[in-house]
Amino acid sequence: MSRQIQDAYIVAALRTPVGRRNGAFRHVRPDDMLAHVLRTVVAQVPGLDPREIGDVIAGCAMPEAEQGMNVARIGLLLAGLPAAVPGMTINRFCASGLQAVADAAARIRLGEADVMIAAGTESMSAMPQIMGNKVSINPEIFARDENRSIAFGMGLTAEKVATQWKVSREDQDAFALESHRRACAAIAAGQFAGEIAPYTARSHMPGEGGVVRIVERVVQQDEGPRADASAAGLAKLKPVFAARGSVTAGNSSQMSDGAAAVLLMSEAGLKRSGATPIARFLAHAVAGVPPEVMGIGPVEAIPRALVRAGVTQDDVGRVELNEAFAAQALVVMRQLGLDPARVNPQGGAIALGHPLGATGAIRVATLMAAMQRDTSLRYGMISMCIGTGMGAAGVFERV
Amino acid sequence: MSRFMIRKVAVLGAGVMGAQIAAHCANADVPVLLFDLPAKEGPPNGIVTRSLASLGKLDPAPLAAKDRAQHIEAANYASDLARLGECDLVIEAIAERMDWKLDLYAKVAPHLKPGAVFASNTSGLSIGALAAGMPPDRRARFCGIHFFNPPRYMPLVELIPAADTDAAMLDALEAWLTTRLGKHIVRAKDTPNFVANRVGVFSILAVLRHTARLGLGFDEVDLLTGPRIGRPKSATFRTADVVGLDTVAHVIDTMQATLADDPWSGHFRTPDWLRALIARGALGQKAGAGIYRKEGKRILVLDLHRQDYVDSGGEVFPDIEDILKLRDPAEKFAELAAHPHPQAQFLWSIFRDVFHYCAVHLADIADNARDIDLAMRWGFGWAMGPFETWQAAGWQDIARLIQEDIDHGRAMAKVDLPAWVREREGVHAPSGSWSAADGVLKPRTTLPVYQRQLYPDRVLGEAPAERGETLWENGGVRLWRRPDQDKGIGILSITSKMHAIGDDVMDGILESIARAEVDLDGVVIWHEPPFAVGANLQQVAQACHAQQFDLLDRMVARFQQTALRIRHAQVPVVAAVQGMALGGGCEFLMHAAHRVLALESYIGLVEAGVGLIPAGGGSKEFALQAHAMAQRAAGGDVFPYIQNAFQTIAMATVAKSALEAVQLGFARASDDIVFNAGELLYVASRRARALADAGWHPPLPQRAVTVAGRSGIATCEMMLLNMAEGGQISAHDYRVARAAATALCGGEVDSGMQVSEQWILDVERTQFVELLKTEKTQQRIVHMLETGKPLRN
Repeated sequence: MSRQIQDAYIVAALRTPVGRRNGAFRHVRPDDMLAHVLRTVVAQVPGLDPREIGDVIAGCAMPEAEQGMNVARIGLLLAGLPAAVPGMTINRFCASGLQAVADAAARIRLGEADVMIAAGTESMSAMPQIMGNKVSINPEIFARDENRSIAFGMGLTAEKVATQWKVSREDQDAFALESHRRACAAIAAGQFAGEIAPYTARSHMPGEGGVVRIVERVVQQDEGPRADASAAGLAKLKPVFAARGSVTAGNSSQMSDGAAAVLLMSEAGLKRSGATPIARFLAHAVAGVPPEVMGIGPVEAIPRALVRAGVTQDDVGRVELNEAFAAQALVVMRQLGLDPARVNPQGGAIALGHPLGATGAIRVATLMAAMQRDTSLRYGMISMCIGTGMGAAGVFERV
Repeated sequence: MSRFMIRKVAVLGAGVMGAQIAAHCANADVPVLLFDLPAKEGPPNGIVTRSLASLGKLDPAPLAAKDRAQHIEAANYASDLARLGECDLVIEAIAERMDWKLDLYAKVAPHLKPGAVFASNTSGLSIGALAAGMPPDRRARFCGIHFFNPPRYMPLVELIPAADTDAAMLDALEAWLTTRLGKHIVRAKDTPNFVANRVGVFSILAVLRHTARLGLGFDEVDLLTGPRIGRPKSATFRTADVVGLDTVAHVIDTMQATLADDPWSGHFRTPDWLRALIARGALGQKAGAGIYRKEGKRILVLDLHRQDYVDSGGEVFPDIEDILKLRDPAEKFAELAAHPHPQAQFLWSIFRDVFHYCAVHLADIADNARDIDLAMRWGFGWAMGPFETWQAAGWQDIARLIQEDIDHGRAMAKVDLPAWVREREGVHAPSGSWSAADGVLKPRTTLPVYQRQLYPDRVLGEAPAERGETLWENGGVRLWRRPDQDKGIGILSITSKMHAIGDDVMDGILESIARAEVDLDGVVIWHEPPFAVGANLQQVAQACHAQQFDLLDRMVARFQQTALRIRHAQVPVVAAVQGMALGGGCEFLMHAAHRVLALESYIGLVEAGVGLIPAGGGSKEFALQAHAMAQRAAGGDVFPYIQNAFQTIAMATVAKSALEAVQLGFARASDDIVFNAGELLYVASRRARALADAGWHPPLPQRAVTVAGRSGIATCEMMLLNMAEGGQISAHDYRVARAAATALCGGEVDSGMQVSEQWILDVERTQFVELLKTEKTQQRIVHMLETGKPLRN
């Protein structure tokens, strides 16, 4: 157990549906998505005086352009929260959303706040260039051989992982297919309904007579999962990142748009607002690995987080392991001996999508919903690999 | 007469031809309404939108730039007929059924705009019968307009008047098709299958007959009837597979039905083996099998004896190969006719029967012999038409051989050659081409539009083309002018083989420009295609071999100097471009004051293919462009513009049309795009005159160009690293592309640094020479010289 003066509890966690890149949220701004989840998560606790919110910490992996300018602060102001509430944007790439939750919890546990909001937002539609709108690489990366892997694209690192740990194309495709199957089944069973705050996407189109036509569409469901995914269809796809590789668009995570917000409180905060906690934040850990095999990051991060939480891997009933690529997810599971039945029972990023900096917070919402449904689930974990070679893991306990 | 204006076209029928005709109108900035039946299910325009979507998959591409598709609007006969009133030209291109066409005409006629031209793209139905389906007051503006597939690329359009067609309208339509769509027009008579298909399909029937008679293999026949006799590579049977065997059978059936009186009509039948293929669905390329079948990389061909597909190969018998290489056509034909080998007999027979057929039918199907010859060149891709081939081989000698074969029953029909054949020494003469119908030599048409074509395609025997007055020449270029045109505009023509750029060409350009600055008002760089295939690699390879890298450095410097001279000449230098303009050719045109581009221009900086980078100012031009465009962008970052150029150069991307050349940055939006390459010199000369008259002065060299520098190079290198690690490019590809990035980014200076144009030229030259020193680049150059293909090493 880390040293702390009080516990941090998750009180509410809501997310937008996750849209495919250039899909339902094509023209929706990431700051608007953030404002939406902030507004709806605060509304979950009617007794909360918003002025009590100590800080809004939002994760974003490409915090520029539409999601630049400290999007956390912009989002909270757009959400109508009092100007007295501060906000900051943080970036740990794909773990940004989880990091925001961890940082918010840490502030409570240190006694610096009683109410915090952690969030994440990312529009990959708004980022036509995946690495940001102005990409500029440091020439020093190429000056020394040992630095070159800093410039490896994520897909290439997945190929490296697949080669080094001998993950077959067939296994990757089977994993991807299962992700879609689980996601579709969960949608059909309505398992995501409780965690999703439906979003009304407004498109402003050129209309008749010079009038702008506003088309509204209520989005309530994730766009990524494909009921028609098939082994044969996946097998047909060509490798994207290496001439004789195994990583395809089908066994990689989808590029997506989405946002989520998580409301955290201390016991004092719970009392004052009359809120009921869902889970206690137990521990968080990050670890570095060589950039060329960034996908194995969770192999280092998960054991550290478990030690800090004081629980064993077997105690953890559910793991939300981000499926950046089937190749790396399979290696993480094999290396750690994770039970496939407990990992991503509702599918993962290959089916559900991966809006980079939002994903961590989104999966916290999924885990909280699962804990509310399933009273036998005591410990849950969120983990992901991180670009340039890191892993993150957070452990939660149902209360 | 009021001006003939076509502001919008309607195409009726969104099949393969209709959609492609619509696409070509859109290429030419003519908006189109593309009609078809309303869909039975789904959105009413579903048939048309599906057809438009499949345009993008056709190869070669019907659209000269993808975004042109926006100028084609989908429509259907159920709800949009009233919109026909917006259209000045309506082209009907529905299925070849007289009853369907007449039904459609009755339906659309009431909605046509007054004065609109209505034309049918039928490939062989009677135009007279179709005209009768139009209300009487519309018949003056009705005619046949027969495009060839693929319509963007095949030059021929046959125009067929009906009895009541207004002559002035037809002239105006011919002019519009010629200049606006770039088509080559042959006026045809209203006889079944008109001119090109009548002769072309007969030619296929003759090949079919003699293939069977002499027991030749289909692959063997394709070797014989391809480029060896001046016809397209796909020759006969491969073409049939591409066209579709069902279509071929349909055309033959049509001939059988409509040409019962033709003395050859007994041969107008589809062979049983072809019917059998169709019956089992082997329709050719679209079905994956036909006369040929592809299995992985193997190409199999149908063997009629074994009734199965066998490995294709086939060989031309050495004697025959030698005969076909003979330069003298008279000798060639005499030997073919006399040689006992089946291949020789085959070739003689197919020529003889086509000559025979054309001679007998000239009077009924065409105005004159030139029209048949040009129709076969433009519609079927023959290098020479049948009459000029015959005439070149010795008119009377060939006539005697043909008559002998007729007399001995060896020809396909026992009908004598017409009397005029024996009375003449040929059909083409300086004063015109023979009209069998009128019994006179007919000169070329005098329509004003043809004054725009200073060098039209000529048939053998015609008056020689105007050579113009040579002002100066060396072994690489000729500076000349046409006394009958603007004498102040010099024409600079590259005369080297394939218009490769070597020392002679560079010296010639420098000298010509110096002379033009004294004696002329402007210069047009013009010659027959290709515009230029790049630097003379032979010279480069020799210098590499001798390790003369200082010499090479000076050679590149001279290249750069020549490009700059084009840019900074005191008179405007206009590049008139058609066909391939690669490497150094592309760099020269990029430096011209203005470009006049034929639509069919294929422009690219392809140096990477031989392990090099553009160093004649091509990389520098893209750096300059990025600088100029970035000045208009907030923040002024040049890298986004460099990034696209980097991909274009590193992948050696070639623009597949003048429109794409503008999109890729090889040409500018303000340049002229000419659809008819024959008008190129005319337009370019007038453009040079206009620039001169507007007070031309050359731009100054740039002294402050913002470049992407080291971070830009590193960002390009990141892409290369990922591709190399993924095994998608070789180590040498990486090295070459990094050199390109270095030149485009202005060298290893800090990002955002300002440098002079000359600095960038020095960077590209240094990078170029460094690459020349590598073994792998030298291997690539040698491989290209030996095989004509790039080496991936």
